[in-house]
Amino acid sequence: MFQTNNIYITSDLKMSDIIFNNPYLLHLAEHFGMNVPVKDKSVKKLCEENDLNPELFLTFANLYNGVKYTPKDPLTHHDILNIIKYLKNNHKFYTDEIYPNILRTIHQMAEINDHKEMALVPRFFLDYFNEVAEHLEYENKVVHPYVLELYEQRINPTSTRKPQIYSAKEYQEHHSDIEDKLNDLKNLLIKYLPYKDDQILRRKLILKLFDLENDLNIHSQIEELILIPLVSEMESQLNKSK
Amino acid sequence: MNRMINIVLVESSSILTEGLIGILNKSELKCQVTICPSFDDLEQILFRKKYDFLIVNPSFILSNPKYFKTLKSQHNNLKTIGLIYSWYDPKNLYLFDGLITISETPDIIISNIKKLLEDTSENDQNALQEVLSNRETDVLKLLATGLANKEIADKLNISTHTVISHRKNISQKTGIKSVSGLTIYAVVQKLVSIDSISD
Repeated sequence: MFQTNNIYITSDLKMSDIIFNNPYLLHLAEHFGMNVPVKDKSVKKLCEENDLNPELFLTFANLYNGVKYTPKDPLTHHDILNIIKYLKNNHKFYTDEIYPNILRTIHQMAEINDHKEMALVPRFFLDYFNEVAEHLEYENKVVHPYVLELYEQRINPTSTRKPQIYSAKEYQEHHSDIEDKLNDLKNLLIKYLPYKDDQILRRKLILKLFDLENDLNIHSQIEELILIPLVSEMESQLNKSK
Repeated sequence: MNRMINIVLVESSSILTEGLIGILNKSELKCQVTICPSFDDLEQILFRKKYDFLIVNPSFILSNPKYFKTLKSQHNNLKTIGLIYSWYDPKNLYLFDGLITISETPDIIISNIKKLLEDTSENDQNALQEVLSNRETDVLKLLATGLANKEIADKLNISTHTVISHRKNISQKTGIKSVSGLTIYAVVQKLVSIDSISD
């Protein structure tokens, strides 16, 4: 049965308390440049120190907790730089840390489990990893610069450079592909791939995949529910002013 | 029926949510219930996962039936059940696929839910069994050797449309969607040899 034991986060809570409640918030804090130890500082205090709109942090943090949060004042284009900062750091976390880490575990498991079908798994994951890397690269090289360009024009409307077009739809298709293959691997590990002395590694691997899936899910919600609406808003504002 | 049934329950009263979850948990149905205390959060919850049932207090939707209809059309496999504990105009209740009335006994509530589950189309019924049919196995074997839908259709003398429908069923039964994932599955099940799969 699903139940969320996670709390509804407000800005007067201590950062340490919300991390004790849901340690995955460490990722969020880190991506925003807030590092532990956090002493007994409140969320609000840490946000101020890091030049971050507390409402933006609360929106993200509550998403991590599976709670929908409506900011007291709606997020605006002023939050764009921090949103992009978060997304960029999260990409780096995927490509430099979590995917290579999972790949290593898969290789270790394939060394122990010498069933011939197991030999196909590292290749499956590597192909998948490459697809993900390509998608993240596309976001880094095309989407983020586009958003930042829009932001520049929004705060400095005299600029005449015209941003290139990009499609939010294409964006979402990429996401569902990324989730499908991850789910395929979970199915193979939990239901089908024959066992051979790999209990510990397989369990580690499965748990890592679930963590990654959860993180990817939050990541795409941030893009789809927070970033894309702000981008559309900036686009229509700019069109109006033309 | 041994599949996990995913339910979203939109109701703000804990007496009702706890009570209904208690009844579901005591039954032989295996349910996973997500509680959604207000209608505003529903869209986000439905966006995250695929659900079988939406059990909802009618007062949430009567104020905005149009939105409810849109929601139903966006999630066409989602069955809706009204949770009835006061009088509603019957003509408003036709929007639901089924109803639960709080005066009903647990047995009747469970049997009504089961009835709705049986209503699912033949296709879905077929997908509830995990064993692949012979035809699905044929399609999977060819898929694993690297053939495209069109080539599989030609080989088996069926339409591309039929191949796609077999592939949908294969994915539903195995939980695996990608061709590369299904290829590994086919090797595990000894449907194809590891040497016959193309690179």
